Amino acid sequence: MLDARTWLAWALTVLVAASLARNPLYGLLLLFITWVVYALCSSQQSRSAAFSPVRLALWMILFAIIFNGLTVHLGDTVLFRLPAWLPLLGGTITLEALIYGVTNGLALAAILSGFATINRVIPLRDLVQVTPRAFHEAGVVLSIALTFIPQTTRSLTRIREAQAVRGHRLRGLRDWLPIVVPLLVNGLERSMGLAEAMVARGYGATADQAHPRRLQALLSLGLLMLLGGWGSRLFFPTWRWPASLLMLGGAALVIIAAWLTGRTVQRTSYRPHRWTVWDGLALAGCALTLAVVVLPLPGLERASLGYSPYPRATLPAFDIWIGLGLLGLLAPAASLFGEPSYDRDHASDVHVS
Amino acid sequence: MMLRRAISGSIYVLSGAIGFLAFLYPFFTPLQGQSSMVTGHSQDAPIVTVALVALSLIALLIELQGQAISAKTVAMLGVLVAITSVLRFIEVVIPAPGGFSPVFAPVILVGYVFGGRFGFLMGTFTLLASALVTGGVGPWLPYQMYAAGWVGMSAGWLGWLVRRGPKRHGDAGRTMVRGLEVLLLCVLGFIWGLLFGAIMNIFFWPLATGPADQTWSAGTGLVETLSRYGVFYLATSLGWDLVRAVGNAALILLLGAPVVRALMRFRQRFQFEAIPDA
Amino acid sequence: MIEITHLTYTYPNATRPALEDITLQIGDGEFALVAGLSGSGKSTLLRCLNGLVPHFSGGRINGRVTVGGHDPVAEGPHTLSQVVGFVFQNPEAQFVLDRVEDEIAFALENSGLPRTEMRLRVEEALDLLGLAALRNRQLEMLSGGEKQRVAIAAALALRPRVLALDEPTSQLDPQSAEEVLQALVSLNRDLGLTIVLAEQRLERILSHADRLIYLPTPNGCEPRGYPFSGPPREVLQAVEQVPPLVALGKALHWDPLPLTIKEGRACAGQTLPGQTWAGGAERASAPCHNARPAGDLPLLRVRDVQFGYNGAAVLRGASLDVHAGELVTLMGRNGSGKTTLLKCIAGLLRPRQGTVDLAGETLLGRETADICRQVGYLPQDPDDLLFADTVADELIVTLRNHALLAHPPIAPDALLARLGLTGVASAYPRDLSVGQRQRVALGAVTVTRPRLLILDEPTRGMDYGAKQELVRLLREWQAEGTAILLVTHDVELAAEAADRVAVLSQGQVIADAAPGEVLGSSPLFAPQIARLFPHTGWLTPQDALAGLARIA
Repeated sequence: MLDARTWLAWALTVLVAASLARNPLYGLLLLFITWVVYALCSSQQSRSAAFSPVRLALWMILFAIIFNGLTVHLGDTVLFRLPAWLPLLGGTITLEALIYGVTNGLALAAILSGFATINRVIPLRDLVQVTPRAFHEAGVVLSIALTFIPQTTRSLTRIREAQAVRGHRLRGLRDWLPIVVPLLVNGLERSMGLAEAMVARGYGATADQAHPRRLQALLSLGLLMLLGGWGSRLFFPTWRWPASLLMLGGAALVIIAAWLTGRTVQRTSYRPHRWTVWDGLALAGCALTLAVVVLPLPGLERASLGYSPYPRATLPAFDIWIGLGLLGLLAPAASLFGEPSYDRDHASDVHVS
Repeated sequence: MMLRRAISGSIYVLSGAIGFLAFLYPFFTPLQGQSSMVTGHSQDAPIVTVALVALSLIALLIELQGQAISAKTVAMLGVLVAITSVLRFIEVVIPAPGGFSPVFAPVILVGYVFGGRFGFLMGTFTLLASALVTGGVGPWLPYQMYAAGWVGMSAGWLGWLVRRGPKRHGDAGRTMVRGLEVLLLCVLGFIWGLLFGAIMNIFFWPLATGPADQTWSAGTGLVETLSRYGVFYLATSLGWDLVRAVGNAALILLLGAPVVRALMRFRQRFQFEAIPDA
Repeated sequence: MIEITHLTYTYPNATRPALEDITLQIGDGEFALVAGLSGSGKSTLLRCLNGLVPHFSGGRINGRVTVGGHDPVAEGPHTLSQVVGFVFQNPEAQFVLDRVEDEIAFALENSGLPRTEMRLRVEEALDLLGLAALRNRQLEMLSGGEKQRVAIAAALALRPRVLALDEPTSQLDPQSAEEVLQALVSLNRDLGLTIVLAEQRLERILSHADRLIYLPTPNGCEPRGYPFSGPPREVLQAVEQVPPLVALGKALHWDPLPLTIKEGRACAGQTLPGQTWAGGAERASAPCHNARPAGDLPLLRVRDVQFGYNGAAVLRGASLDVHAGELVTLMGRNGSGKTTLLKCIAGLLRPRQGTVDLAGETLLGRETADICRQVGYLPQDPDDLLFADTVADELIVTLRNHALLAHPPIAPDALLARLGLTGVASAYPRDLSVGQRQRVALGAVTVTRPRLLILDEPTRGMDYGAKQELVRLLREWQAEGTAILLVTHDVELAAEAADRVAVLSQGQVIADAAPGEVLGSSPLFAPQIARLFPHTGWLTPQDALAGLARIA
C-alpha cells in the first residue's frame, strides 16, 4: 500500500498534467490512465467516494461541450446558426467550439477522476496522519473530530428520543432547536472533559510559547513577495520571468516558515511512515510525467501540448514521447504487486456511504 | 509589541489580498489578453491560483496557531467540527433543495461568540473534515477551506463590533441576544451564502471553460468577460447559491438566538480559560 | 509519597471553598479510597494531585501539596503527567484517537520519546492491563469496562508512580466495574503502584483499601477535627453513610467491623453461634413490602413482545405487568434488552409481535409524543432533555408540546415544590448539580401527570443521599397511584424501593416476584445482607435487625 503522501503527489501531478496538456488526445489518455488506476487500486475495503469518476467524467465532458459550444462563436466550421437576438447564445455554433469544449471537459474529468481515486484509496486516518508537524494541532483537531463523529451521531439519536418522550414532534425547522442545543452544549461539555484528559496526559506544554517575531516576519515577507510577483505577472506581462522568480521566492519563504514552526513542536510519531520501493516507483512515475509536461526537454514536440482548434479544426498532434511520459502516472498501480500492509485493519475504518 | 501586531496584521491583510485577487483574477486576463498568445503560461493560471490560495491559507493557519492554542481550544474545535459534520449528513437525509448546507450557520454563530480566530479555525477545519469524511477532497479544497475560514473570521469581527458598541448592560453577565444581533447575523449568512457560491464558481469557471486565450482573435474586453461569467453563473449556480443564502438566513433567524445564548453561557462558565480572541 | 498540608481551594466563581484546610498523607504503595457525598470535593482533591487544579480550572489555592517530591502547583500538569496518571469518570470523553494502541501512544507522543521507547512502553501498558488481544480494535466498539482499562493503560504508559482515578466505575455496569476494580487491585498488589481512587459504591473495594479518606460535605453536620483519614475500619466507625454490611456491623457492635461477606459470616457466627442460615423457619420472618390486593387489574400489560435488530433477536416474548401504585424494578445483565423493552413501551421502537396495553388501551402503533402524555420516561442521561433557559421553562416546554399549557394537569409551581426546586426555578438548568438536573428532567416528564413512570438507570453515579431523595419522591408518586417501572443494576436500590422485581434474561422475563424471593436467592443480584444471611428473605440492614430481634 502506498503512503498517503505519495497518493497526494500523484493527484497533484494529474492536476498539473491535465491543466498543461490541453490536447484532446492527451486528455483522453490521462482520463484512461486515471480510470485504470482507480479500478485497480480500489477494493471493497476502500471508502466509497462521493462520486463515481466515470459517470462524473462523462457529465463534465458533456457540460463543457455544451457550454462552450453554445456560448463561443468563433471558428470557421459552422454547424448551424442560432438567432442572433439570443443573449450570448446567438450566433454560429461551430465545430471548433465544440472541440474546444471536449478538450476542456477531458481535462476536468481527468482531474476529478484523479481526486476521486485518492478519496477512495487513502484510509481516513492516514490522511490525518500526514499533516506536517507545523500543523500538528490541526491534526489533533481532525483526529478528535473523526473520533467524535460516531459519538455525536449516537448522541443525536438519544437526544431525539429524549425530546420525543416529552412530546416533541419534528415538523418544521424551528423544531430542530431542542435537538441542536443539547447536542451542542453536551458536546462542548464533553470537550472540556476531553481537554482535561489531554492535559493530564501531557498535551500542550509547548503551546505556551508564542511564535518568535522572526517567523512572523518571514511569513509576511513571503506573502508580500507572492502578491507582488503575481500582481506583476498579471498586470505587467513583460516582467514575466522576474515576477515568477519573485513568486517562487515568496512560496519558498512561506514553506520555510512552516518548516521552522514544525521544528519547535516536540512530538514524535508512533506510526512510522514506511517508504517502500513502491512509493519510490510511483513518485518516479509522477516525476517523469511532470518533466515531460513542464520542462523543455529536447526531442519533445511541446507545441502539441497547446492544441487549439481555431480558426479551423485540425487533427491534434500527438507526440509519442510525451504520451509515454504521461504513462508514468500508471506507476501507483504497480504497488499491487507488493504485499498489502498488515498493520492496519482497513476494513474497520470509518465508512461513509 | 506594536511591531508584532503590525506584522501580525500584515499577514492577515496580505493573505486576504491574495485571496481577493484569486477571486477576481479571471476578470484580469482580458486586460492582458491582447498580447498573450497561445502559449503555455496562461494555461497554468488555475494551478497557480490554487497554489497561491493554499499558500496564503497555510500562512494564515500558522499565524493563527502561533499564539497558544490550548488543549481546551483544540478539544472544542474537534467536537464542534464533529457536530457540524454530523449535521451535514442530515442534509442528505432531509430532502432540501440543492445548495442548502447547514454547515455555515454553525460556523457563523460559533465565530460570533468565540471570536474571529476561533471562527476561522472552525470554518477551515469544518470544511476539511467534511471533505475528508464525505470523500470530497479535490483541488477546490483550499478554496473552500480558505473561504469558510473567512466566513468564521468575519462573524467574529461582527461580534467584536457589536460588543464594543453601546454597552447598556455589563458584558460579563450578558446573555440576552438582541433582535438586532440576530438580524445582522442573518444578513451575514445571506451574503456569505451567495459569496461562497460565487467564489467556488470563479474557481470552476476557468477549469470548465478553459483559458481565456481562445478569444484572442475577437479582442474581447472586460465587459464581455463579465457577461460570459454572468451566463456561467446563472447557468450553474445562482439557483443553488440563492437556496444556500436563504437557507443560512432562515437557520440563523429561527435557531440563532437560543444557540448563541447557549454558547455564551458555556463561554461564561469556562471563562477563566483564555479562549483567545481575534 | 503524597503529602497535603492545610490545603484550601476555591473555584473561580464560587463563594465557598471546595476544599478547606485539608491535611493528609498517603504512603508509597498504598491503596487509598476517597469517599464522601457529592459536592464534598473528591474530584477536586484528586485533581490537586496532578496539577489540573489550579492550572486547568483556575481559582485560588493555598497550602502545600507534594507528590513524589514534586509540587503540582508549581510544576503544572505537563511535568506531573509523568508522576501521576489520571483516569476520568466518563469513558466516552477521554479518547482522542480511535484505536486502542494509538490512544495509548498519544501520551508518549506528547513527551517526545523516541519511537523504540514508545513501542516498548505501549507493549508494557497493554500487558499490564491484559489488553493485548484488543490492541487493534476500534475504541468505540469496546465495552465500558474495556474502555476504562484502556484509559488506565494510557495513563500508565508514562510510567507514573501514582494512579489517581475519579469515580471510574460510576458509569459502568457491575461486571465492567468489577473488571476495572480487579485490575486496580492487581496493579497495586503486584507492582506496588500507589492508587488513589474516588468511589461512591464503597462495598466493592473496601476490603482491598489500605486507607479510607472521607471528606465532609461543605455544610457539614460532622464536627471539626473529624477523623477522616486512616485505616478503613476506623474511619467507617465515625461516618454516617456506609455500605449495608458495615451499617449492620455498627448496629450490632461487631468488632472488628466486617468489610467482606466472609468476615461478616465470621462475626455473625460469633454473635449468634449455632445459627445455620439454611432456610426454613427463618423464611416466615421475611418482611413483606407493600402486599398487593389480589385480583387487581394491571395498569401496564406487556405480553410476548418480540423485537430484533438486524436479524439478532433482543426480546423473545417478554411479558410484564405493573399495577397502579406499584414499583417494579427490572434487572438483568448488560445487553439483556432492558432498555429495548422500555423503548418498546414508550413507542420509540416498534415490536415485531406482542401487545402493550396501558389501562386497557393499546400503545402499539401510536406516536411517542402521544404515548408520553400518559407515560413519563426518564432517559439515562437527563442532560439530553435540557435545553431551555430556566428550570421553570423546561416544564413549560413539555406542556406546550402536549398543548396543555392552558390547563396543565399539575401546576408547574407545585411540581417544582415537590421536587425541591423552587429555589432554583429561574436558574439555568445546566448550572445545577447532577442530582438537581435529574430532578428537573423528572419534572419535565411528569408535568403531564402520567399514570406510568419509567426510569432508565436513574442512580448511576449517585451518592447515598441523592438515592434516598429519589426513593422518597418515587414513594410519593406511588402513593398517588402512579405505576413505576425502574430499570437498574443497583441491587441495594431494588432492595430498598421495589415492590416486585423482574429479571430479564435472553430476551424473556424469567423471574417476577417479591424482592425477597428474587434478590435473595440469585448470586448475581443479591444485596450484601442477603448474601450474609441467605434464604432468609432479608435484604436491608433494617430487615436483618428486625429479623434478628425476632429470633433472639
